[in-house]
Amino acid sequence: MAETERDEKVSAGYRALGSEEPPRALDDAILQASRRSPARWRVPLSIAAVLVLAVGVTLRMLPPQPDAESIALAPQVIETPRPASAPPAQPKEQAKLAARAAPAPEPAAAPAMAVAADSARRDEVGLRAAGVSLSPEAWLARIAELRKQGRTREADESLEEFKKRYPDYKIPETPR
Amino acid sequence: MLAYRQGDAGAFEGLYARHKGPLFRFVLRSVKERSLAEELYQEIWMRVIEARGRYAVQAKFTTWLYTIAHHRITDHWRKRGLQLVDLADADAVAHRAFEPEARAEGRQDLQRLAAALSGLPELQRETFLLHEEAGLSLAEIAAATGATEEAAKSRLRYALARLREAMDDG
Repeated sequence: MAETERDEKVSAGYRALGSEEPPRALDDAILQASRRSPARWRVPLSIAAVLVLAVGVTLRMLPPQPDAESIALAPQVIETPRPASAPPAQPKEQAKLAARAAPAPEPAAAPAMAVAADSARRDEVGLRAAGVSLSPEAWLARIAELRKQGRTREADESLEEFKKRYPDYKIPETPR
Repeated sequence: MLAYRQGDAGAFEGLYARHKGPLFRFVLRSVKERSLAEELYQEIWMRVIEARGRYAVQAKFTTWLYTIAHHRITDHWRKRGLQLVDLADADAVAHRAFEPEARAEGRQDLQRLAAALSGLPELQRETFLLHEEAGLSLAEIAAATGATEEAAKSRLRYALARLREAMDDG
């Protein structure tokens, strides 16, 4: 405590005002949030946005998707670059190759989209962790707080909403 | 905090246990409404958790923590706008916030102290709380609030004078 700027009487009076502590549910929610893996919430929103944009641009630049007719013709297209030493492809193999070759743009785009979606999901978690919206633990703490305040209906509605949003979330203690 | 940044979750629990009471009372006595205080308190800790990767040893953790708290509460005041200057309301809320303890003690000087604390201008009250509750030095208060050390000293003096006056008024 600092220096000369101190008044013992005021300090003693202030201490006597009480020593309120945060509710236990709040402690638990914060500690749970602190244990989450940083990788889940440290991906910046900008990265997700850039990925989504990149995927969008890539998809626009790619040639149009082949239709069913071109898929049927694909085996011939595949055959031509085959090296002379390779044995001729069997009909079954041709069909497989055709199936793989036809939707060519998709495998390239799909992982990128998955990454973007995953980033967006992690960012959602990150934003909740940052207090932009509630984390599951904080949400449960809020429900418990509503019950404590006698706002049962709001608590029930909030719990229903929670279960819809996080159907797989194991609720440690039903906040009733 | 450095240990926590490097993945030691237990380190956070130690920090939390040490700072939770003072920080909670700092927020509670700043905003005077328990439910709001709980909300802001949680947001402050969430920001600490989120910002752990950016923590650097430029100031001690306490100063860093209360810098975050100062910013969050300042945002809150900005959103509330004119309600801040209504001292009559502030006093009424102060009684709701502090009366149980003060009454239980049966001490009118504490009730007057609580009302005076609540009625202080925000910056003076914040400075007093950072000094008294968080244990920050004037230099640390200046760093946490973005003020000069002289300004922090002046605010603290005014706050102490008004609180002392309120206690002696009986």
